[in-house]
Amino acid sequence: MTPPAAHVAHPDQRQALAFRHVSKQFPRGDGGALEVLRDVSFDVPAGSVVSILGPSGSGKSTLLNMAAGLLAPDQGRVLVLGHETTGTVDWSRLGYMFQDDRLLPWRTAIDNVGLALETGSIGRREKRERSQAQLSLVGLGDFASAYPHQLSGGMRSRVALARSLVTEPDILLMDEPFSRLDAQTRTTMHTELLRIHRERGMSIVFVTHDVEEAVILADHIVMFSPRPGRVHTELAVELPHPRLGTPDALSLVAELRAAIAGMSADWVI
Amino acid sequence: MRAPAETTIRTPGRATLAARRSALLLLLIVAWWAASLALPPYVLPSPARVAQRLAQLAESGDLFTNLFTTLWRVLAGFAVAVVIGVPGGILLGSNRALGSFFEPVLPVMNTVSSAIWAIFAILWFGLSPLTPIFVVLMTALPLIITNVWQGTQAVNADYVELAHTLRFSRFKTLLKIYVPSILPYFFSGARLAFGFGWRVSLVAETLGASSGVGYRLRQASDLIQTDQVFAWTIAQIAMMVVIEIGLLAPLERHLFRWRRDVRT
Ligand SMILES: Nc1ncnc2c1ncn2[C@@H]1O[C@H](COP(=O)(O)OP(=O)(O)O)[C@@H](O)[C@H]1O
Ligand SMILES: [Mg+2]
Repeated sequence: MTPPAAHVAHPDQRQALAFRHVSKQFPRGDGGALEVLRDVSFDVPAGSVVSILGPSGSGKSTLLNMAAGLLAPDQGRVLVLGHETTGTVDWSRLGYMFQDDRLLPWRTAIDNVGLALETGSIGRREKRERSQAQLSLVGLGDFASAYPHQLSGGMRSRVALARSLVTEPDILLMDEPFSRLDAQTRTTMHTELLRIHRERGMSIVFVTHDVEEAVILADHIVMFSPRPGRVHTELAVELPHPRLGTPDALSLVAELRAAIAGMSADWVI
Repeated sequence: MRAPAETTIRTPGRATLAARRSALLLLLIVAWWAASLALPPYVLPSPARVAQRLAQLAESGDLFTNLFTTLWRVLAGFAVAVVIGVPGGILLGSNRALGSFFEPVLPVMNTVSSAIWAIFAILWFGLSPLTPIFVVLMTALPLIITNVWQGTQAVNADYVELAHTLRFSRFKTLLKIYVPSILPYFFSGARLAFGFGWRVSLVAETLGASSGVGYRLRQASDLIQTDQVFAWTIAQIAMMVVIEIGLLAPLERHLFRWRRDVRT
């Protein structure tokens, strides 16, 4: 039976992600509730890099977990590729990269990448080939059989990136993925990420509390207020890449820092 | 980029280590031989005499039959302990209420002497292979449960979250996250349990069996055949050393080659 035409869902595929009036509270030990997100609405246009910039505790990770379908909003809706997260979503089209690299210590680099392919019915050989290709993409082609403890922080980060890319996701959720790297390695990772983004054209949601990182990477910046997280400012960054150290980028960073200083004294950088 | 440089810490080489161990062995034998000159053979037989006895036992087939009888019993008790202990440990570890309810049982079980288990076993099973098997089981079980339980507590919640983002089923999460996380704990528990099991099986066999190394030790001692007692002792130590060096140590190195501290 075909449903009447008026009821056919036409998911809006121009938005990779859409947050509509999302609120979230967590129960507290004392019986009260911790309000983490309040009426958050914004879009992630397909193919764009959107940076969520907010102080620690403003609910950024909570928001990503909602986008990944790990948490449900109390109020409002989260749409992934036009489909509500509470309904049926093809989760394989999402990649997730955590703040820590979260590599399994008992697996080699290539097997860590391959983990993301072990959900479905992909054969051993295809898994190996695709994982190896992904490692090469992030510049670690020669390190397939290295264990995590044999790799530097930057290399581990690359393996984690390869793992989140190996499923060729349309949307990549990144939760402060480079915050534990030293400045130089972080800059290298930014360059890599932008290169891969140019090649693949996926949508990226990049959570950070670092103003400079947001300015270097993002097409759009969504700035959150301190807890409860609300959208404080949304702006488009229309500067050409690479942006690191350019006068325009520097002045934008300064401008945003000033805005933050006006918003709250306790922004944790 | 090149492959990561291996940071090799210089430990004594294989050859030097072997030489050292042989020297130690030689020293012990010489000391034994010197002492045996001063003592009557029923107190301390000479190494040569024990070696002769050992050869005799080996030739008659007695040696290997009894060693394997005992080994088989240890393995049987150990296997039952694994079959009960692994799911038991996982169950206790995954259910807090159940865990705290049964928690006192394990230390109590650990304090019960293997001689007491052996006496109960004789009451229940008489002189039968079940007696040493039961004693091994009761000794190995708490060790395996405790270690697997600890292993479940040590599973990193972040890895489980990773499995959620990858949409792994419960079974897949168990297989790919829990099992590898628990394995080192299981292995050290199993190793301990096997060593203990071997020792207590001898006690059980001296009390309630009609074959096996323990039984033969008892028999030899009743007849004051001190050279035989020595021969059996040496044979069983040698067997444990072979299992340890030839099987368990390489297995551990292979299974945990991903660890920083284990170098192959
Ligand atoms: N599952 C949870 N249960 C209770 N409180 C939580 C939970 N997850 C996060 N929180 C709290 O919500 C607040 C926002 O957390 P988070 O989303 O991690 O912020 P951010 O990523 O911006 O630093 C924090 O105060 C945190 O302690
Ligand atoms: Mg966070």
